[in-house]
Amino acid sequence: MKALFSRYHPRYMRSLVYMLQASEYNIRDYLAWYGRTRDFSRVEKRKRLEKTPKALALLAVSWAAVLIVGAIVVTGILAADNMSHVAAVGLLITFPFVLPYVLAVAILVLRVIQWPVERYITSQAARALARHPAVKIAIAGSFGKTSMREILKTVLAEGKKVAAPPGSYNTPLGIAQFVRTLSGDEDVLIFEFGEYYPGDVRKLCELVEPHLGIITGINEAHLEKFKTIERTAATIFELADYLSEGPVYVNGENELARSIAPRDSIFYTRDGARRWRAKNASTNLAGTTFILESGDEKIEVHSELLGLHMLGSLAAASDIASRVGLTNAQIRSGLARTQAFEHRLEKRTDSAGVITLDDSYNGNPDGVRAVIDFLSSLTGRRRWYVTPGLVEMGPRKREVHNNIGRELAAAGIEKVVLIRNSVTPLIEEGLKESGYTGEIIWFDEGLAAYAALPHMTVAGDVVLLQNDWPDQYA
Amino acid sequence: MVEKASNGVKTIAVIFGGRSAEHDVSIITAHIPIIQSLQASGQFDVWPIYISKNGKWYADKAMNDFAFFKRPDFESILSRQKPVRLSFENGLGISWPGVLSKSVRIDVVFPSMHGTYGEDGSLMGLLRMAGVPFAGCDMFASAVAMDKAFTKQVLFAEGISVVPFCWFTRAQWETENVQIKKRIAELSWPVFVKPVHLGSSIGITKVKKESELENAIEVALHYDDKVLVEESVEELTEVTLPIMGNDIVQTAEVERPLNKAEFFDFKDKYLSGGKGGKSADGALYKYSEIPADIGAEMTASVKELGARVYRVLGCSGTARVDFLIDNRSGRLYVNEVNTLPGTLYQHNWKKAGVSNMDLVLKLVALAEERFESQKNTTRAFNSDILSKIRGPKAQ
Repeated sequence: MKALFSRYHPRYMRSLVYMLQASEYNIRDYLAWYGRTRDFSRVEKRKRLEKTPKALALLAVSWAAVLIVGAIVVTGILAADNMSHVAAVGLLITFPFVLPYVLAVAILVLRVIQWPVERYITSQAARALARHPAVKIAIAGSFGKTSMREILKTVLAEGKKVAAPPGSYNTPLGIAQFVRTLSGDEDVLIFEFGEYYPGDVRKLCELVEPHLGIITGINEAHLEKFKTIERTAATIFELADYLSEGPVYVNGENELARSIAPRDSIFYTRDGARRWRAKNASTNLAGTTFILESGDEKIEVHSELLGLHMLGSLAAASDIASRVGLTNAQIRSGLARTQAFEHRLEKRTDSAGVITLDDSYNGNPDGVRAVIDFLSSLTGRRRWYVTPGLVEMGPRKREVHNNIGRELAAAGIEKVVLIRNSVTPLIEEGLKESGYTGEIIWFDEGLAAYAALPHMTVAGDVVLLQNDWPDQYA
Repeated sequence: MVEKASNGVKTIAVIFGGRSAEHDVSIITAHIPIIQSLQASGQFDVWPIYISKNGKWYADKAMNDFAFFKRPDFESILSRQKPVRLSFENGLGISWPGVLSKSVRIDVVFPSMHGTYGEDGSLMGLLRMAGVPFAGCDMFASAVAMDKAFTKQVLFAEGISVVPFCWFTRAQWETENVQIKKRIAELSWPVFVKPVHLGSSIGITKVKKESELENAIEVALHYDDKVLVEESVEELTEVTLPIMGNDIVQTAEVERPLNKAEFFDFKDKYLSGGKGGKSADGALYKYSEIPADIGAEMTASVKELGARVYRVLGCSGTARVDFLIDNRSGRLYVNEVNTLPGTLYQHNWKKAGVSNMDLVLKLVALAEERFESQKNTTRAFNSDILSKIRGPKAQ
């Protein structure tokens, strides 16, 4: 009942606009979310509506629609005939069910208006980029793009002037905005290519015209949009197709990427990349240590990045650094500066001595496996694994989550904290199937778990926060 | 209408605030860690009971959120509410009178009031009368520990080392001023002048010369009607030890506060937030060394003596024993006992491997254990004494 009435509350309009914003104005995603939602009174759980011009315009459209409908209803009620009364009441009842579609249409109209403007902006950016003398590096993949970008940026900055779009500016418009900030004397530009639908990466290649590509891997991320993993793979490998001449580095630890990569790809793994071999690697909470060797050349490396799965990316960055002319000493000091990027296995130690590994931006099965592998190496302390599960796993949902449960059980993680939703029971299934002997603790909401954790942990505990569950997957 | 907690969870009341100098600290203790841990455990229906500075009792679940007390207008919000009433019928109940009257049965109480009325045994006496289990020390230990002079007298009588001291009341100070000054002069100086009943180092002055003495006593008498004057240990290491348990006791880590000021005052304890600004959980640990670097032998002595003091004073639930180590002689003195340590010293327990939730749940379990064992003690017996008194018989 309360859920039904939530459509008649003034907040309903704000909720709809928030849902559009959180879906990045993707009408398909927004309508799917709308279809799943029953109660609109508490949609903004993780974030709040950001009052951008677009959001404000949509709020204005909603209010305008309300005023118009209100005027019609009042006129109907004041009319003398019964038919008008019935029609007015009918309109009043049905209006909240129509409003979401009014907003969808408003978005479509906005898009038609924006299209030529955006087209102009991106073509300007393409021209500016074509003139820019820097080496352009493009990173594509289902996961690990931001970490790769940050590692490269840090290492290359030891000898070159490097620029990369901040945050997740990985769409044509985002990149165009970034291009305007360039001064023209940069030596290297690094771009993350976001992929949501087939053709996305190709379009970005045409805009940026990269000289070198990196494919960090392919997995189920965005599978609900791509439908099949083959389509995801084909989209990401649009980068390799574009760079048929130029070098393409491919994460050799990702089976799928490895299996479909062109023969002349350069594979990077924890054993090394092209000329560099990685040896004597070890990792703990203080970071990762190893030696890079190439013939007689040797670089002793210590990075604050956690986990052996980072080795491949570090080796690839070293090789690219050699390519653009950095000395071994520069590479070494660049690698020493690499550290966890926000919410990507980022370590924090609180005053009580509890170590939190914030991996809340890692929501892909490969990343999760690597992190559980790292956790399993930390013995002699209590380990907590906190997760709401992974989103957008499509038909592989059961398999992926069962596997997480099995891996946690095998790693002997002491406490598993699960947030109740449609996928976490599948993690529990995997845990139980593997005879898990630790404790499973349930919370109804992620925020409740985050609030409770400081009260449940003691000095020396390691708490891993795995993935965040955005509102649109509620 | 009597409201009962659903799905079999126990109803617990956390009582905090109160007419005491440590009113605000009490709000912090009540929320971090008590209410937040109780809620996180999912085992309780938590009723916050707040006693305002003017002694009115309020119960409203909105107060479970610490943020409520950070609102500048929280007092005026409460003043518009109906104060809650207590009933002692078959245990403790709280009720709101009026047309839409409502009452709630309380299964367990978690007192979280520092200082006067809360920590001095008054509240415990009330809860004993109500016949409801409550966490933390019982009335007798609370009353003794609240009085720094009583504590020293009891410990001294049991052969436990305390620094030389003397005490007097306001009335005595007014009438026997000269004799008192003489007794103080016999102590080796400098001395500390302390109100006997106050915690959190309020009203304490270190006196180095005679000219400062009267003023220090006036300050102490401003807060209390009884004053303790004791010798200062000059080359000093202060340590403190949280303890929990009833018959079987468990000690946390020996902790050494790293004083910024000459002694550990209220500001150091609760207000200094460290480099990163104010911390929600009392900030105490920022200036603490846990475990204290005092050597294994001294650590063992502190723990042993702490447990002895805990038993001598009849503590139960939890308490914190403060010690002074004379660096010159290596002697260990007991300074005072705190029966409701601020924030339950959760920062220390965490280092000792006890999480906030474990700590709070254990204290609730200890409360119930003590309550059960007290129930088995016979307190009434039938006598014929009334019939032996002469007078008219009832018709």
